Amino acid sequence: MNAYGLMAVFETPADAIHAAEQVRDAGYSKWDVHTPFPVHGMDAAMGLPNSKVGWFTFLGGVTGYTTGMTMIWWMNAYDYKIVIGGKPMFSPFFSFPVSYELTILLASFGSLIGMFLLNRLPRLHHPLLKNRKFCAGATHDKFILVIETADPKFNDQETRKLLVSAGSKHIEMVED
Amino acid sequence: MTTSAINLISGLGRWSRVAAVVVAFAAAALLGSRLTAAEHAEPVKGAAKTEAKAEHHAEAAHAGHDHAAGECANCGHDEPSELKKFGYAYLTAYMFCLSFCLGALFLVILNHLFDAQWMLPIRRFLEHLACQLCPTMLILWIPIGALAKHIFPWMSPEMQAHPDHALLAKFPLFTPTAFYVISGLIFVVWYVVAHGLREASLAQDKDGAAIHTRTMRRYAAAGIFCFAFSLTGAAIFWMKALSHQFFSTMYGVVYFAGSVWVTLITTYWLLLYFRNRGDLKDVTRQITFHDCGVLFFAFTVFYAYVHFSQYFLIWNAAVPEETFWYVAREKGSWWWVGQLIIFGHFWFPFLMLLPIHRKLNIGFMSTMAGWAWVCHYMDLQFNIGPVLYPDGLHLGIYDVLSLGGLLAILIFRFNSAFNAHPPYPQRDPRVAEAMGVYVEPASTNKAAH
Repeated sequence: MNAYGLMAVFETPADAIHAAEQVRDAGYSKWDVHTPFPVHGMDAAMGLPNSKVGWFTFLGGVTGYTTGMTMIWWMNAYDYKIVIGGKPMFSPFFSFPVSYELTILLASFGSLIGMFLLNRLPRLHHPLLKNRKFCAGATHDKFILVIETADPKFNDQETRKLLVSAGSKHIEMVED
Repeated sequence: MTTSAINLISGLGRWSRVAAVVVAFAAAALLGSRLTAAEHAEPVKGAAKTEAKAEHHAEAAHAGHDHAAGECANCGHDEPSELKKFGYAYLTAYMFCLSFCLGALFLVILNHLFDAQWMLPIRRFLEHLACQLCPTMLILWIPIGALAKHIFPWMSPEMQAHPDHALLAKFPLFTPTAFYVISGLIFVVWYVVAHGLREASLAQDKDGAAIHTRTMRRYAAAGIFCFAFSLTGAAIFWMKALSHQFFSTMYGVVYFAGSVWVTLITTYWLLLYFRNRGDLKDVTRQITFHDCGVLFFAFTVFYAYVHFSQYFLIWNAAVPEETFWYVAREKGSWWWVGQLIIFGHFWFPFLMLLPIHRKLNIGFMSTMAGWAWVCHYMDLQFNIGPVLYPDGLHLGIYDVLSLGGLLAILIFRFNSAFNAHPPYPQRDPRVAEAMGVYVEPASTNKAAH
């Protein structure tokens, strides 16, 4: 059994935010806050930068748009030319609705895939899920901050002291 | 003192850059219109007829419509009269100024419909801007009403005496009486909604009663319908009616989208200005700018969406009653104005605003405000100008004087209204929330622990 991380339970969102600010300022890097609902301002309190998922979305969108335009041009104006309604063989106007839909489709695929990749999902097991206190609290009415032992700044005594001073009533070591 | 001087200089630097772009564009447009004027020396009647034939539709079936004749009555074969030139320049400037007031009214209504908290810092100055719809914009409308016979081809005595099929089909809506009655009604609607909302808001400053919030919600709920109909009416009667043969159910929406778009970036700039001046220092947070920028971004896409829809349906159906409108706008330097709308009004802001942090870049967004003004003005020129100048964009002294004069009056009236009242809703139920202060609900009684 090796230790996964130190878990601190907080009673209100405000306490959790203030604790997160202290942990952020202390310079920890491998830690997270688990709450039953999204807490506004938490990303700023944790010092999280803007998510990189947007880049996956953008790339998906660009791919979708160019695929749509190229596909319609290839099929109607190059590979099998066919006149429909006296319209030109290719025009960005009639190609736009389909390319636009492909843009949205592939952009949303990009978001989903990007989110999975960046979160390292899918994942079958997580050490925190074995902890009854964690599972009952984080999905109901507790706000739980976990600092991993893998963090370079992690020190059992110091980290515990920091979490106590942040106002946590319950601190325990989670085993893997 | 020093910092404000520096702010002013850096602001001037930015604005002079924007001004340089405007001047360069105007010069290019004037040059372009000269060149194309020489190119398109042939009579307009001939040109319009050629297009009609190019549509591959049986001429005979549409003989009753005779667009060529209709268009020609608008423009004439020779140089338009000075009164006409002034009328068109004034109308363009008027619709430009009207955009801000209508956009402001929409945003105030939106605030109440969604019970939004983030809009609180910008709500008061938008209320003042919306109240300029009546009486300020009503008084400024009088020249349009007086010159209507010169501006709107369908109102000319010869067209009224011998109406074409398109005009007959639109009787009794397109008669001078209906034009003035409906225009008057539009201003009444704007007066009631805009002033109703501001009065309740100012009353709440004094007593802080929740009843005023409910009053504003009622005004907003009914007002959004009145707003939609009145704005569409204004766009159709004062702008689309220039080519009375044209049909488009999207027309009002396109004007609405452009108006709210330009108002949002102006709101961003005004928020910055009033924050730096100190009026809105207490309520303005970074998130306010972010949200304003996000909504501007949304309307960048929305404008492109509705304008493309209008264009696409007309292009796809290829019915001469509709296509003539865009065909006229692909002539001469109007082609380049159209390109500016596609690339300057949509692609440039769209791609630039995709990264989230760009919406917080004050320098970029201020420059964008100037750029949006240019694009929106050019959009209105694109709508209004080709009826009088089929050969290309004309910008003259009348345009400069009308725009400068109307903007000066609007800014003066807005500024005196803003200075006469508190800068933001003082006792709105959401004021603490907007400031980022958490107030415990009185009922839970948790404040003790």
